Amino acid sequence: MAAGLRAVRRWGLVAAPPSLAFTRSAFVVKKANNAQPNWPGVGLAFGTSAVLWALLIKQHNEDVMEYERRKARAHKCKQCS
Amino acid sequence: MVFLPDESRSLPPPPLLNKGSLWLGFAGWMSALMDNAFNQRPVFGAGIHRQVLLATLGCVVGYHLVKRAEYVHAKVDRELFEYIRHHPADFQPSTG
Repeated sequence: MAAGLRAVRRWGLVAAPPSLAFTRSAFVVKKANNAQPNWPGVGLAFGTSAVLWALLIKQHNEDVMEYERRKARAHKCKQCS
Repeated sequence: MVFLPDESRSLPPPPLLNKGSLWLGFAGWMSALMDNAFNQRPVFGAGIHRQVLLATLGCVVGYHLVKRAEYVHAKVDRELFEYIRHHPADFQPSTG
Protein backbone atom coordinates (compact mmCIF):
# COMPACT_ATOMS: atom_id res chain seq x y z
CA MET A 1 0.00 0.00 0.00
CA ALA A 2 2.86 2.38 0.81
CA ALA A 3 4.52 1.67 -2.51
CA GLY A 4 1.28 2.40 -4.30
CA LEU A 5 0.89 5.67 -2.43
CA ARG A 6 4.48 6.62 -3.28
CA ALA A 7 3.79 5.89 -6.94
CA VAL A 8 0.60 7.95 -6.89
CA ARG A 9 2.50 10.87 -5.27
CA ARG A 10 5.22 10.65 -7.89
CA TRP A 11 2.62 10.95 -10.60
CA GLY A 12 1.48 14.22 -8.92
CA LEU A 13 -2.00 12.88 -8.19
CA VAL A 14 -1.77 13.16 -4.38
CA ALA A 15 -0.23 16.19 -2.62
CA ALA A 16 2.61 15.46 -0.20
CA PRO A 17 3.34 17.87 2.65
CA PRO A 18 6.23 20.10 1.57
CA SER A 19 9.64 19.11 2.95
CA LEU A 20 11.23 21.73 5.14
CA ALA A 21 14.55 21.91 3.30
CA PHE A 22 15.37 25.60 2.79
CA THR A 23 11.79 26.65 2.37
CA ARG A 24 10.15 29.75 3.79
CA SER A 25 6.72 29.06 2.36
CA ALA A 26 4.00 30.70 4.41
CA PHE A 27 2.12 27.40 4.38
CA VAL A 28 4.86 25.80 6.43
CA VAL A 29 6.29 28.58 8.61
CA LYS A 30 4.52 29.94 11.66
CA LYS A 31 4.27 33.70 12.09
CA ALA A 32 6.69 34.95 14.72
CA ASN A 33 4.97 35.92 17.94
CA ASN A 34 6.94 38.71 19.57
CA ALA A 35 4.47 39.07 22.46
CA GLN A 36 5.59 35.78 24.03
CA PRO A 37 9.35 35.78 24.58
CA ASN A 38 11.28 32.68 23.62
CA TRP A 39 12.63 32.30 27.16
CA PRO A 40 15.02 29.40 26.43
CA GLY A 41 16.43 31.46 23.56
CA VAL A 42 16.81 34.51 25.79
CA GLY A 43 18.54 32.45 28.46
CA LEU A 44 20.83 30.87 25.90
CA ALA A 45 21.74 34.27 24.43
CA PHE A 46 22.53 35.84 27.81
CA GLY A 47 24.37 32.73 28.96
CA THR A 48 26.47 32.64 25.80
CA SER A 49 27.27 36.35 26.19
CA ALA A 50 28.38 35.82 29.78
CA VAL A 51 30.58 32.89 28.75
CA LEU A 52 32.09 34.89 25.87
CA TRP A 53 32.94 37.85 28.14
CA ALA A 54 34.47 35.52 30.73
CA LEU A 55 36.59 33.84 28.03
CA LEU A 56 37.65 37.20 26.58
CA ILE A 57 38.68 38.66 29.94
CA LYS A 58 40.49 35.43 30.85
CA GLN A 59 42.32 35.42 27.50
CA HIS A 60 43.34 39.07 27.97
CA ASN A 61 44.68 38.46 31.48
CA GLU A 62 46.61 35.41 30.24
CA ASP A 63 48.07 37.48 27.43
CA VAL A 64 49.23 40.18 29.87
CA MET A 65 50.79 37.59 32.20
CA GLU A 66 52.55 35.81 29.34
CA TYR A 67 53.92 39.10 28.02
CA GLU A 68 55.23 40.11 31.46
CA ARG A 69 56.74 36.65 31.93
CA ARG A 70 58.56 36.79 28.60
CA LYS A 71 59.76 40.34 29.23
CA ALA A 72 61.19 39.31 32.62
CA ARG A 73 62.85 36.24 31.10
CA ALA A 74 64.44 38.29 28.32
CA HIS A 75 65.84 40.79 30.83
CA LYS A 76 67.16 38.00 33.02
CA CYS A 77 69.03 36.45 30.08
CA LYS A 78 70.65 39.65 28.88
CA GLN A 79 71.31 40.96 32.39
CA CYS A 80 70.24 44.46 31.50
CA SER A 81 68.45 46.71 33.97
CA MET B 1 48.64 29.43 8.53
CA VAL B 2 48.15 30.22 12.20
CA PHE B 3 46.01 33.19 13.15
CA LEU B 4 48.21 34.18 16.11
CA PRO B 5 51.70 32.62 16.10
CA ASP B 6 53.38 31.92 19.40
CA GLU B 7 55.80 34.84 19.09
CA SER B 8 52.84 37.23 19.02
CA ARG B 9 52.54 36.53 22.74
CA SER B 10 55.83 38.35 23.25
CA LEU B 11 54.10 41.55 22.20
CA PRO B 12 52.21 43.69 24.74
CA PRO B 13 48.56 42.75 24.35
CA PRO B 14 46.18 45.52 23.27
CA PRO B 15 43.79 46.86 25.94
CA LEU B 16 40.44 45.08 26.10
CA LEU B 17 38.72 48.26 24.93
CA ASN B 18 40.49 49.15 21.71
CA LYS B 19 39.49 50.61 18.36
CA GLY B 20 38.74 47.21 16.84
CA SER B 21 36.72 45.74 19.68
CA LEU B 22 34.82 49.02 20.16
CA TRP B 23 33.96 49.41 16.48
CA LEU B 24 33.01 45.79 15.84
CA GLY B 25 31.03 45.65 19.09
CA PHE B 26 29.18 48.74 17.91
CA ALA B 27 28.63 47.11 14.50
CA GLY B 28 27.22 44.00 16.16
CA TRP B 29 24.89 46.12 18.26
CA MET B 30 23.81 48.05 15.12
CA SER B 31 23.00 44.82 13.30
CA ALA B 32 20.78 43.75 16.22
CA LEU B 33 19.02 47.12 16.05
CA MET B 34 18.61 46.75 12.29
CA ASP B 35 17.18 43.27 12.77
CA ASN B 36 14.62 44.85 15.11
CA ALA B 37 13.80 47.52 12.54
CA PHE B 38 13.37 45.06 9.67
CA ASN B 39 11.09 42.84 11.71
CA GLN B 40 9.00 45.81 12.82
CA ARG B 41 9.89 45.54 16.50
CA PRO B 42 10.74 48.48 18.81
CA VAL B 43 14.29 49.32 17.73
CA PHE B 44 15.98 49.82 21.10
CA GLY B 45 13.65 48.12 23.53
CA ALA B 46 13.23 44.76 21.84
CA GLY B 47 15.58 41.81 21.82
CA ILE B 48 18.00 43.04 24.48
CA HIS B 49 19.48 39.55 24.60
CA ARG B 50 20.14 39.76 20.86
CA GLN B 51 21.77 43.19 21.19
CA VAL B 52 24.01 42.00 24.02
CA LEU B 53 25.00 38.80 22.22
CA LEU B 54 25.86 40.47 18.91
CA ALA B 55 27.76 43.30 20.62
CA THR B 56 29.72 40.71 22.63
CA LEU B 57 30.53 38.73 19.49
CA GLY B 58 31.73 41.93 17.83
CA CYS B 59 33.98 42.77 20.78
CA VAL B 60 35.52 39.28 20.83
CA VAL B 61 36.20 39.25 17.08
CA GLY B 62 37.51 42.84 17.19
CA TYR B 63 39.93 42.10 20.02
CA HIS B 64 41.45 39.12 18.22
CA LEU B 65 41.65 40.96 14.92
CA VAL B 66 43.51 43.86 16.60
CA LYS B 67 45.93 41.37 18.18
CA ARG B 68 46.65 39.90 14.76
CA ALA B 69 47.02 43.34 13.16
CA GLU B 70 49.50 44.43 15.84
CA TYR B 71 51.47 41.24 15.31
CA VAL B 72 51.66 41.78 11.53
CA HIS B 73 52.75 45.41 12.00
CA ALA B 74 55.40 44.41 14.53
CA LYS B 75 56.72 41.71 12.20
CA VAL B 76 57.00 44.13 9.31
CA ASP B 77 58.73 46.70 11.55
CA ARG B 78 61.21 44.10 12.74
CA GLU B 79 62.05 43.09 9.17
CA LEU B 80 62.41 46.74 8.20
CA PHE B 81 64.81 47.50 11.05
CA GLU B 82 66.79 44.34 10.31
CA TYR B 83 67.14 45.44 6.71
CA ILE B 84 68.29 48.92 7.78
CA ARG B 85 70.78 47.33 10.17
CA HIS B 86 72.21 45.15 7.37
CA HIS B 87 72.45 47.96 4.81
CA PRO B 88 73.83 50.95 6.73
CA ALA B 89 75.40 52.43 3.63
CA ASP B 90 71.97 53.03 2.10
CA PHE B 91 70.70 54.87 5.14
CA GLN B 92 73.36 57.44 5.90
CA PRO B 93 72.10 60.99 6.43
CA SER B 94 72.72 62.92 3.23
CA THR B 95 75.93 64.92 3.34
CA GLY B 96 75.69 66.59 -0.10
